[in-house]
Amino acid sequence: MSRPTLAALILVVGMLLLADLLVVNSALDALAGIVVNAVILVAAGAALAAVGALGVRRIGDLWRRRGDPVGAVLVLVGMGAVLVAGLRPGSAGTNDPAVQWLVAALLVPIAATLFGLLFVTTLGAARRSLATRSREATVLVSAALVTTILLIPLSGSTGAWLAGAAGWSLAVPIGAVFRGLLIGIALLAAVYATRALLGMGAADE
Amino acid sequence: MPSPAELLGRVVEFIGDILGASSLRFEIGPTLVVLGVVLVLLQLVARPISRWVTSDAAGLAGVGRAMALAAESGTDAVVSLGGAGITRTSDALGRLQTLAALPILGHVARAAARSGVPLRVLTNDPIAGVMAAATVDAAHASTATLERQGRSRIVMVGEGRPTIAGLAMTTRARPAAAFALGSLREEALLHLDGMRGGAGSLVTASAEAAQASSLVLGGGAALIGPEPYQAGADLRSSVEERTMVMAANRLIGLAVTVLVIGSLLALAGIVDLGHFVAGT
Repeated sequence: MSRPTLAALILVVGMLLLADLLVVNSALDALAGIVVNAVILVAAGAALAAVGALGVRRIGDLWRRRGDPVGAVLVLVGMGAVLVAGLRPGSAGTNDPAVQWLVAALLVPIAATLFGLLFVTTLGAARRSLATRSREATVLVSAALVTTILLIPLSGSTGAWLAGAAGWSLAVPIGAVFRGLLIGIALLAAVYATRALLGMGAADE
Repeated sequence: MPSPAELLGRVVEFIGDILGASSLRFEIGPTLVVLGVVLVLLQLVARPISRWVTSDAAGLAGVGRAMALAAESGTDAVVSLGGAGITRTSDALGRLQTLAALPILGHVARAAARSGVPLRVLTNDPIAGVMAAATVDAAHASTATLERQGRSRIVMVGEGRPTIAGLAMTTRARPAAAFALGSLREEALLHLDGMRGGAGSLVTASAEAAQASSLVLGGGAALIGPEPYQAGADLRSSVEERTMVMAANRLIGLAVTVLVIGSLLALAGIVDLGHFVAGT
């Protein structure tokens, strides 16, 4: 499809969805529904094709003895297990207990284990950043250290002062920076989304 | 000494007085036509998308050099499109970041195509993979290097944010340049740590406010907060266009400075702008 045709298509679809959002009209609603359903179908087809390609690729890796054989076997076994659990006769699909067990007992714990590395990774990244004398990272680590000290659970007037200072730092300097960041992101996300809906390409395309 | 609020109020009052005492020279139709012509001229001189941005925050102008080094060392470059994708069960802001990453991918792909460096694009979403493939193909077409197209590849890593982070952590490839662009959330530091390991250089871009610190700690050049959305406008290769944008920025800054100084002088009673401007 040529670029002008694609841009025109994006513009038409974008304007249609915008109009459906702003105007209550049954015909317009039906037309927008057809477009949205078509997009969902295309996405589902692409997802199936991508998963199929992933499987073929891993089988090819094993067949030609290239890449990571252990990883390829794990991917294929995982895909096979979910397929068998979800598609076997009498299965309830994604709600089948076997599928839910695979997710709850295997996928979620594995992901949690991965995230458990964050503590070590964060400390390592902080040490590395200080070693490279990055100005931004030094400020960041210093602020984190100060905040950690403020959050030390002490009793008495010292603890109360630290807790008050921690609350103030969260509400005023950290809150101000975070809100500023969020406002900037929101403004430019709105601009970028509008440009995408109207089919405007990036400057260097 | 008036407070800032009082000062702002007086400025608004001053402008309101001027507007209240004014009338259109032409009818409304011709006035709108004139304004339209001015706006069109402004659009041609400096497009609003890059009016305020002429910096090179993440060193993207130096991508060509990184690719030259990659070509010399015979390695490849890797681009990760983050964990959101386009059709995954993610929110709209995450998807939008994937879209915003594509122009940067195009910039990297053109530099890689010119230098003959193979590109690996990691994604966990099939539609994002298709769009990335189209972007890489377009880069080869625009640089007339279609014979090198087959060396670059799009890697669909599977579903989930941990998956792409896990792959980045466990891969043994050592690319000359690594780029992590798009939505990076709780897995950000793991993802960046994996991308950084062994890579000659690292560029990160994510509009996730909560992960700004991860991008700073991750090392390398970073586009943080709204910057990934601006980067597409900042990737102009034409020196003339960048110069015109910078010149327009200077003019706008000068005009704002003159307005502020004039308002302060008028409020202080040093000059009578009404007499100076309108002769009243």
